Amino acid sequence: MSVKYVPVQWNRNKYWYDAAMLIGVFAFTWVYLRVAPAWIDHTRPVDGAITNARAFGTCAFVMMSMILAIGPLARLDRRFLPLLYNRRHFGVMTLFVALTHVGFILGWYYAFSPIPRLEGLLTANTTFERVSGFPFEAFGVFALVVLMVLAATSHDFWMKFLTPPVWKRLHYLIYPAYAAVVAHVAWGKLQDQQDHTLTVLVVALSLIVAGLHVAAAVQDRRRGDPAAAHAGSGWVRVCSVDEIAEGRARIAMLPTGGRVAVFRHEGALSAISNACAHQNGPLGEGRIVDCVVTCPWHGFQYDVRTGRSPAPFTERVPTYRVALDGRDVLVDPEPNPLGVTTAPVPVPDIEEGGPRPAPTGEASA
Amino acid sequence: MAEALLTSVQVWLWIGVLVAAVFLGWGIDRIDEDARGAYVFRPLLVPGVMLLWPLVLWRWWQLETLRDDWLKRHDPPRRAHTLAAVGMAGAIVLALGLGLANRQVWPADIAPLQLTAPGVPTQDADG
Repeated sequence: MSVKYVPVQWNRNKYWYDAAMLIGVFAFTWVYLRVAPAWIDHTRPVDGAITNARAFGTCAFVMMSMILAIGPLARLDRRFLPLLYNRRHFGVMTLFVALTHVGFILGWYYAFSPIPRLEGLLTANTTFERVSGFPFEAFGVFALVVLMVLAATSHDFWMKFLTPPVWKRLHYLIYPAYAAVVAHVAWGKLQDQQDHTLTVLVVALSLIVAGLHVAAAVQDRRRGDPAAAHAGSGWVRVCSVDEIAEGRARIAMLPTGGRVAVFRHEGALSAISNACAHQNGPLGEGRIVDCVVTCPWHGFQYDVRTGRSPAPFTERVPTYRVALDGRDVLVDPEPNPLGVTTAPVPVPDIEEGGPRPAPTGEASA
Repeated sequence: MAEALLTSVQVWLWIGVLVAAVFLGWGIDRIDEDARGAYVFRPLLVPGVMLLWPLVLWRWWQLETLRDDWLKRHDPPRRAHTLAAVGMAGAIVLALGLGLANRQVWPADIAPLQLTAPGVPTQDADG
């Protein structure tokens, strides 16, 4: 959580995450460069610089595949959520591995180019009108530029400054970038019909990533957050109060857009926006401990009664007015301005509710 | 064409450097209270400003003129994810299919061809 911006908010989990990532990169490239050559057909020798370029290119592809797999895996099974925790460092490291790949390519294939190396790269193959022999470099350049943009905007400042909708739309570029990387490899190294290992690796990983995303999208459609139903007088029905466990929440999509999370805490109901102010993680999937809910993505915390992070932290999310109609939980879909607190609505002990009370939860600044 | 493209990229990035100098040295303190008194993180923002300076100027203008809609911060575009995921899956299948179906075949004993710089006549293998 942040009070002031710091370059990186280190903690033990981030150290472990980054250490595992670095060890993985070193292990992959070491095996590729030192162990794997023994398995290769020595009748087709390859220069060291080319092997280096392929090692880092393959490593970058595997890293991108893992990054793209983490999101849907965490949505399909919450046990993968810890992998989401420091994914941005994973992305930044992938950019550096990809840049190393490009460095070896430019330093070898364009070492003696009479024109600047980048210009040589862009003009080496311009047969854009053909499918066979299509300039695979263009796919790689596009993906590299996207990786640069995403890495350059990975600091928390950018999410806050650009706003989550703009930032997230920008970061949706990772999807076409990954498809471009697959095309880069398919029109590049996979044209070598002798390299069955890489062919199997690329086809398997990319189809796994595609399958996971489609599976997660299907699950969201089938078992995603329900839409709140109109309940008259501008209020919407979220669920029955009996469906909300103590310390937990129910999430509903509002007709005004966005999602609300209605929490039950110490026998009373409070509602806040489901989108964490940090990276829009699903607050409604968090659990209340000591009056605050913890975002399952990165651990940001909010008091569900006020929508504020505990001092000295400054993050805030909007609160919503809540009412009970018998056992039905109603929410006013218009959020309160940031910083406005609503009184929690006590849940009656009786199993069946009485007459509908007047909407409660008077706002106070 | 490639030369003009690379020159344009250089100009773009140099403008970004200027915007970064002004924004990170002065503007950021005006629009983000959390940035006041915090300086070590600012160099990390330079590459982003260089790449996205028009977006930076647009957001800076919005925040300076109080046109920022605070509610949008809490309405992430999650609905677009299904479209993006399915689109990516389709593009992957298309890329793999077209790339592998159009693999080029060449004879192992093809006669070598000496490559030369642009503008220099190509020399035939036997000549």
